[in-house]
Amino acid sequence: MSQTRGRSRTRTVGLAASALAVATLATACASAGSTDAGSATAASTASAPACAPSTGKVTLTFWNWGTGMDKVVNLWNSQNPNIQVDLKTVPSGNAGTYQNLFNGLKAGTAPDLAPVEYDTLSSFRLVDGLQDISGCAGVADAKSKFVPWTWQQVQMGGSGVYGVPQDIGPLALYYRKDIFDKNGLAAPTTWDEYYQDAKKLKAADPKSYISFFSQADPNWFTGLLWQNTPTLFSNDAGTWKVSIDTDQTRKVADYWQKMLDENLVAKDLQGFSEALNKAWDNGSVLTWISAPWGWSTIRDGAPSTSGKWAVAPIPQWDASAPSNGNWGGSTVAVLSGGKHPYEAAQFALWLNSDPQAVSMLIKETGIYPAATTDSTDPFLSAPVPFYGGQKIFDVFAQAATQVNPDFVWGPTMTDTYRFMSDGVAKTLAGSQTLSQTLTDTEKKTKDAITAQGITVAP
Amino acid sequence: MTTTETRTDRRTRHTSGTRHRRAALWFLLPFAVPFVAFYVLPVVYAFAQSLQRISRGGGSYGKATSVWAGLFQYDRALHDPDFVASLVRVAWFSLIQIPVMLLVALVLALLLDTQTARLRRFHRLAIFVPYAIPGVIAALMWAYLYDPRLSPLTQAMSTIGLDPDFLSPSHILWSIANVVTWTYAGYNMVVMYAALQAIPTELYEAAAVDGAGELRIALQIKVPLIKPALVLTAVFSIIGTLQLFTEPQVLRTITTSITSTYTPNMAAFNAASANDYSYAAALSLILAAVSFVFSFGLLRRTTRGEQA
Repeated sequence: MSQTRGRSRTRTVGLAASALAVATLATACASAGSTDAGSATAASTASAPACAPSTGKVTLTFWNWGTGMDKVVNLWNSQNPNIQVDLKTVPSGNAGTYQNLFNGLKAGTAPDLAPVEYDTLSSFRLVDGLQDISGCAGVADAKSKFVPWTWQQVQMGGSGVYGVPQDIGPLALYYRKDIFDKNGLAAPTTWDEYYQDAKKLKAADPKSYISFFSQADPNWFTGLLWQNTPTLFSNDAGTWKVSIDTDQTRKVADYWQKMLDENLVAKDLQGFSEALNKAWDNGSVLTWISAPWGWSTIRDGAPSTSGKWAVAPIPQWDASAPSNGNWGGSTVAVLSGGKHPYEAAQFALWLNSDPQAVSMLIKETGIYPAATTDSTDPFLSAPVPFYGGQKIFDVFAQAATQVNPDFVWGPTMTDTYRFMSDGVAKTLAGSQTLSQTLTDTEKKTKDAITAQGITVAP
Repeated sequence: MTTTETRTDRRTRHTSGTRHRRAALWFLLPFAVPFVAFYVLPVVYAFAQSLQRISRGGGSYGKATSVWAGLFQYDRALHDPDFVASLVRVAWFSLIQIPVMLLVALVLALLLDTQTARLRRFHRLAIFVPYAIPGVIAALMWAYLYDPRLSPLTQAMSTIGLDPDFLSPSHILWSIANVVTWTYAGYNMVVMYAALQAIPTELYEAAAVDGAGELRIALQIKVPLIKPALVLTAVFSIIGTLQLFTEPQVLRTITTSITSTYTPNMAAFNAASANDYSYAAALSLILAAVSFVFSFGLLRRTTRGEQA
């Protein structure tokens, strides 16, 4: 499932194209009632809102994307005759479902529960689309069941709780162990080593690249920035601060600029494309900095390289103070307008922290869980043949603990990602540098936040 | 006597006229109702939307309200370098791609018109088929042919020493133009060909008697006579290319050369998906206005030429 999420940003095309036909109409319809957007609930109050159980039998609607969720929901339904969950499978968030949810929130037809990626929580809260479930029974106690930084993400810098963490995408280095070995190279532990390795591998095979720089995955580049910066956004007393263009982020940008300038990473490959699969398959791209869900992406994309890959921790800027970023992952959020927040919260908590449910999620939907309870999960502790029998998820378990914990997402990430992606396009075309992309992204993001009527620090 | 007669006559004619008009209105209804509901009203709504902006209450996640903003969104659009660049881009695109495509369509239509019935049927279908392929599929297919790592086309070309890069920032617009031409040339050809079929054959016989060859008949008789069809296809093409969306959006998944605001339609679409509806509405209306000016400008120019 999270694999679908990871690729969702690149896979919006088909739907986007058909959505064109109704684009004008959507512009019209979607904004109907925008004058009273947010009046549905008072979720943003300071104290925890009351959350009382409903009486009698309750049916919750749950929209979800990806496969396998039906089995987990069936398990819940068989155990909870009075709280039945009605699952509806929808396209992934950025392929249209978020838009449908936004529209549904305005029209009062949104489901009780839906997955919302961490980076999109702010956008939903901005339209008052999330219920604060901090007052619901069991929520406060659940905090300890999750990787700490994920709880910080759903608290969004306050005392409310706006979703239950489901899965995460801490970064690690997938690499062609056979080719590294052949050239006498160990997995790089620092970014400088990674750069030196890139040059050696290029010298050994001029047609190969150590990696590729995808324009279509701005959330990947954000993960790389996340590794070297506490946060890209913050908000204080109603004013947002944007720190996309800082010394720390420029260090990352300049590094990758150097990799691009010296032709060490491919500039013409998009993530999750057929061309990339082929490049992996024929050994012209040798590493991928990616999340745990990426393990099946390589396996399915480059089957002939089975047994040749391995996973190592992400290279570090400062080996003595390891840190990491995250790419992808979701929460399950209780949406505004739903009449049964208590029951919805109970289901969301069970789904994402009950050992049996999480184990099923891992097996059936392919997520890497945000819950810490399952480090001994049979699936996650098994050796993976495609990676030469390595227990790759151990690497990610370690990686998850190193993610910079205070990272805050901006309120207009759809726009921010778009600006970053456009800037990267210009960078890859050679008309600007990655640093300029950061400057440009920061400026345009501030404008976009202002356009939403939000105060932003200059 | 005569005067009374005329008067009654006039009166009856008058009433029947009103009745006719009323009947005409009823017949118009099936068109007018959906036209108003699904075209006029959304445009009016979008216009109203474009004159607003979001204002928000206190706090980081304050409550949003839409407030009157006058021409603020339009001002924003015209000062948005990405949007202006996208307009210039599709203008260039139209200027080059439309004449090329229409010329191809015209030549094909004229050739088809000289063929025997059986060949005609086959060729007409073969040339028209691309239009029947959904735009997304066509774009995906061309994407495959353009992708240097997958394409048999580029591989074949590189064996004879050519190394085309269809996806580079400087070529991508014309690679898109190629897809659009491929898709719509056949459609335009069919429109022109239908017009050619309507020309009475006596004219050709007369021309032949006067000693005109096939080429001369084509250029001096056929082409001027199907001018209304040519104007029609040109207007449709202008509207179509200014709204360019599917092809660049699909090619975007395989090339790093296309930005999210590559065409005005993409810019509007992305503004809408970022919940910036008023801005999206303003962008859409500017695009509509530009299409209107271009297509009606062409219509006026060509009809004026006819009168002169």
